[in-house]
This record gives sequence, C-alpha cells and structure tokens, in this order.
Amino acid sequence: MSTTPHRHEAPPANKGLLALAGVLLAIPIVALMLVGTYAKDEPRLAGFPFFIWYQFLWVVICSVLTYTAYRIVLKARPHVPMNPEGDAFVDDDASRKDGPR
Amino acid sequence: MTAVAPAADTGGVNGVALAVLIFFFVVVAGAGFWAARWRRPESMESLEEWGLGGRSFGTWVTWFLLGGDLYTAYTFVAVPAAMWAFGAVNGFFAVPYTIILYPIIFIFMSRLWSVSHRHGYVTPADFVHGRSGSRGLSLAVAVTGFLATMPYIALQLVGIQAVLEVAGVGSGGNWIAKDLPLFIAFLVLALYTYTSGLRAPALIAFVKDILIYIVIIVAVIYLPSKVGGWGHVFDAAEHKMTTTTNPATGNPNVFIPGPKAYWAYATLALGSAMALFMYPHSVTATLSAKGRNTIRKNAAILPAYSFLLGLLALLGWVAIAAGTKPVGLDGKVNGQLVIPQLFEDMFPAWFAGVAFAAIAIGALVPAAIMSIAAANTFTRNIYKAWLKPDATVQQEAKVSKLTSLVVKAFALIFVLTLDKSNAINFQLLGGIWILQTFPALVFYLYTRWFHRWALLAGWAVGMVYGTLAAYNVTNKATGAPFAGSVANMPVVGQLGYIAVTAFAFNVVVAAVLTLVLRAMKAPEGKDETIPADYFADAGDPKVEKIEVGPHELTPSA
Repeated sequence: MSTTPHRHEAPPANKGLLALAGVLLAIPIVALMLVGTYAKDEPRLAGFPFFIWYQFLWVVICSVLTYTAYRIVLKARPHVPMNPEGDAFVDDDASRKDGPR
Repeated sequence: MTAVAPAADTGGVNGVALAVLIFFFVVVAGAGFWAARWRRPESMESLEEWGLGGRSFGTWVTWFLLGGDLYTAYTFVAVPAAMWAFGAVNGFFAVPYTIILYPIIFIFMSRLWSVSHRHGYVTPADFVHGRSGSRGLSLAVAVTGFLATMPYIALQLVGIQAVLEVAGVGSGGNWIAKDLPLFIAFLVLALYTYTSGLRAPALIAFVKDILIYIVIIVAVIYLPSKVGGWGHVFDAAEHKMTTTTNPATGNPNVFIPGPKAYWAYATLALGSAMALFMYPHSVTATLSAKGRNTIRKNAAILPAYSFLLGLLALLGWVAIAAGTKPVGLDGKVNGQLVIPQLFEDMFPAWFAGVAFAAIAIGALVPAAIMSIAAANTFTRNIYKAWLKPDATVQQEAKVSKLTSLVVKAFALIFVLTLDKSNAINFQLLGGIWILQTFPALVFYLYTRWFHRWALLAGWAVGMVYGTLAAYNVTNKATGAPFAGSVANMPVVGQLGYIAVTAFAFNVVVAAVLTLVLRAMKAPEGKDETIPADYFADAGDPKVEKIEVGPHELTPSA
C-alpha cells in the first residue's frame, strides 16, 4: 500500500448523540424480540388479530425511529473531508498536504 | 367462497395469462440488454463497472435495487406458502425479520461502505482480508458466501417454476419438456447479466417493483372482499391452523404463536436479520451506492417493502379462506403453488398474467444480483487471491462474467436435485452458514480485539454445528434430513433457529481462543486500514494501489 497515513483517527463525534441514536435503533429490536407481549388474538382491529396489526404498526414506528437516528447521526459526526492524499483531514493539519508521505 | 373464478380452467394452459407473462418477460429482457448503455461507463471490463455499476447509484436507484434484491421469490412464493401450510412461526416471522433488519444494517453498513470505498473492496471477504491480513479467514468468508448464495439462487428458480406450472407450461412426461421453459428463462437472464452486469438488475428492478406494488395493492383490496372480508380470512386460518399439524416436524401448526414458540419466532427473525447483509449480494447492492449515507437513508425508507411482505404473507391465509387448491401438474399438492394458483383462480386472466410476471421478474432480479455477487466473490477471493494473483482488472471482469454463468448452472442442478416442496428451508440452510461469517465481518468493522485464528476457529465450529444440527432435523413423515431449521437450543431448552445457536458457539469459541492466542503471543496479521477509513465518504480519495503509481491521485466521482 502506498499510503501510510500520518494522522488517521476517526472524525470527532458527539458521543451523547450517537448513544441516543443507538437507543432509538435498539427500541424496535427489543420490542419485537419480546414475542410474549404481542402473541395474542384480541383486540382485533378491522378484523386483524392484535398479533398481526401490532407488527404492521412496528414497520411504521421502526421507519420513523430509523429516520430520526439518521438525522441525529449526521449531526453527531459531521463528515470531515480528507486531503487528496487521504492521509489527513483537510480542516486541520493542512500543512501536511504538500509534505512528504 | 362466493366468487366465480374467471379463469376456471386450472389444469390446462392459461393462454391469456401466459401471453401477458411472456410479453413482460420480453420487455424485461430487452431492458436487461439495453442496461449496458445506461449511465454508460467508459469500459465494462472491470469489477467496479460490471460488478458494482460503477459505484454510482443514488438513493432511489439503491432503494429499488435493494428492494428488488432483498425481497425475492422467497417473499412472493415461499413465505405465503409457509403461512398457508404451517402458519405464523414458519411464515410471519418474516415480518419482524425485515423490520429489525434495518436498525441492524443502519449501524454497521456505512462503515463497510466507507472502508470498501477507500480500499476498492468489492466483496465482504476483500474487507476481511484487508483488515485481518489472513488469507485463510478471507477464504472461509468467501467460500461460505459462495455456498450460501447457491440455495438462495435456487429458491428464485422455484419461484419461476411455480408461476410457469400454474400458467400450465412445463407439463409433459419427460424431463426436458418439463424444465425447458425454466432453462430458457434462465439462459436469457444469464446472457443479459453477462453483458450488462449489475446495471441490468438495477434497471429491471424498477419494472419489477412497480408490478409488485400494483399486484399486491390490488390483491389485498380485492381478494378479501371476494372471500368475505379479513375477519373471515383470519377465522378460516385459525380454524385450519388449530386443527392441523405439520407432517414433517410433528409440531402443531400455528395461528398465533404460543409460549413454546416464542423463542423460535424471535430467533428466526433475529438470526435471519443478522444474516441477510452477510450475503455477498446484499453487500454488492450496498457498495454500488454512491455515498456513505445512501444506505442509512435507505434503512428508513426500505421498510415500505416490509409492509408489502406482511400483506403478501397474509395472502397465504386468504388462500385458505378462498379454498385454493395448489395442485401441481403431476397431480400432487404443492404448497409453493398456492399464491400463483390463488391469483389464477380469482383474477381475470390478463391480470393473473401481470401477477405471474411480477413474481417471475421478482425472481429474476435477485437471481441476477446473487450470481454477480457470487461471481465477484469467486474472482476476487479465490481466483485472484489463490490462483492468479497478478490478474488484471480486465481478466477479473472476464472471470467474473464466466463464473456468473457457472453459478446459475449450479443453481439449476441444486433445484433439480433437492426436495423443493419446502423451498423456504433452502434459504434457511444458507442462512445458518452465512451467519457464521458475522463475527469476522461485523466485529472487524469495529475492533481487532478478536484474533484472526480464533475467528477462523469460531467460524469452523459454527459451520459444523449448524450443518449437523440442520441435518438432524428429520422429516417425520419421510425420514429425510434438512427438514427444518429450528432445533432445541442448549441452555435455553426451547426450540430456536439453529443459525443463532451456532452463532453463539461461534462467538464463544472465538472469544476464548482469542484470550489463549493472546497469552501465547500468536502473531497478529497486518491491518491495511486506518480508523479514518471507516468514515470516508464520496469525494474522499481512494487508497491507491502500488501498481497504479504511488503519486497518481484519482479523486473519486
């Protein structure tokens, strides 16, 4: 490999926001793993057993949570472009751009 | 049943429906060949172009491509068939599976996209090799991906076969006449995949998804009203499920899972969700996206398909209320025919043809992507890694194209030799295998704590346990092995998805051996990635390979 980077940490992130996104993403997984909480017939909704419509409901909830997590993650760790050599981020350490690799 | 079936002749050839089906097939084949010119690349002679569509697809193309890729004949045929025959645990678990799938991939797929973009990785095994420095581990991941994709492609064939059979073609006593239509369909598929690569299924996915949405929306509004409404549908399903048992496993059929089936339902959903994006074809569709966040945005909008999948699954129960009799041309009951048969019984012939086309094209798109992904895996991780390390990009593309043909031939053999009455188990067996690559792929995206040899050992334990456990699930009626994918889970003491049990063994072995190998100071492999690679986005430079020239910089598009 030709590029042996000098500076290569991950871009800075707001850890609290990342954790919040993680919680939002975990909610549907936990909810649907608890099969005992929804494996029942009643109450029916428009003829649909609870077991069926409850899971359909989670399709929508999960979609909303995932989109929210997406917006949060964009904010929590904004993209930092790399320099043309790919060995540093452009906003700091700019002097290295023309330096030896 | 109040309806009078407009196309009542279920035995013979349904001329109108068949004509519509052939019309759509020709349109799609034309689109497949034309796709080589779509977003025309300078040259198709590289895996970046042939195998990943130039890594150029935006949010919407990716949405159609992933939707067309992930929701396959399995969705349209096997899931409703399982609902019709065995009920909720075998069929409806697909709904929670495709819900929790998206939070899971949201978490790690962006990292895989970024590091693959930086280092030009085309397959999961490429990444594992770069990260671990272990050719052996990379080979294990590649071979598993290749093996697991085979039954998945075969499942697509089962879907096409089901449609053809209900449409009345493929009859006749001898083997050649019976399977000829399927051969022709697959030959055409093979040819346009060969010429157009990933662009072909990406373009056809538009046709497929639009047809599917139309058919399903019409079906879920129109069909229940013909059989007495949804309430009646669920009552009929409840009656059938509570009065019958599964002849293969001896377990009672399920309307709504009872306490003994909770673990099975949950582990089938979780294991399948974790497994899906280990498949090379899912990774291929993801890596063809043009930006790091394309996949995350898609994780929020792809659940639209999960909704569709749930409705489709319920059509299996609509078929119970409608009294659909899925009898094959050989006179035997074949559950896989239930959805095409329902459509033929209940829809006017021309719309039944549209529905048949939706299912058949719905099988062609993923079959194309899967064969491309399997071919890329072979080329990169077996041919280039082991047989011809100095292969040029042109040679890579050529080998991949040829392999995509061989892969389809294998799938044909697979489908003609194995018991296809329970097609869903093909896919679940593949799922058991592919989930064993999860630690190597996903753990490595975050940490190098696990030792490469320990991961390899864990993989081996998981593969052996999973295969043996699946083999030991015998069909109580016929005595055949591989009759299902749930077995008793050690410790838990309940029935659960074998893949999840095998995965647990896999992780434990990997962790314990890592501690041992650390203590023995076993050599670590060389990691060619850096932490910043996992956050790169479009516009960031790719890592240049030495042979291109160390100072030649290529800003990526």
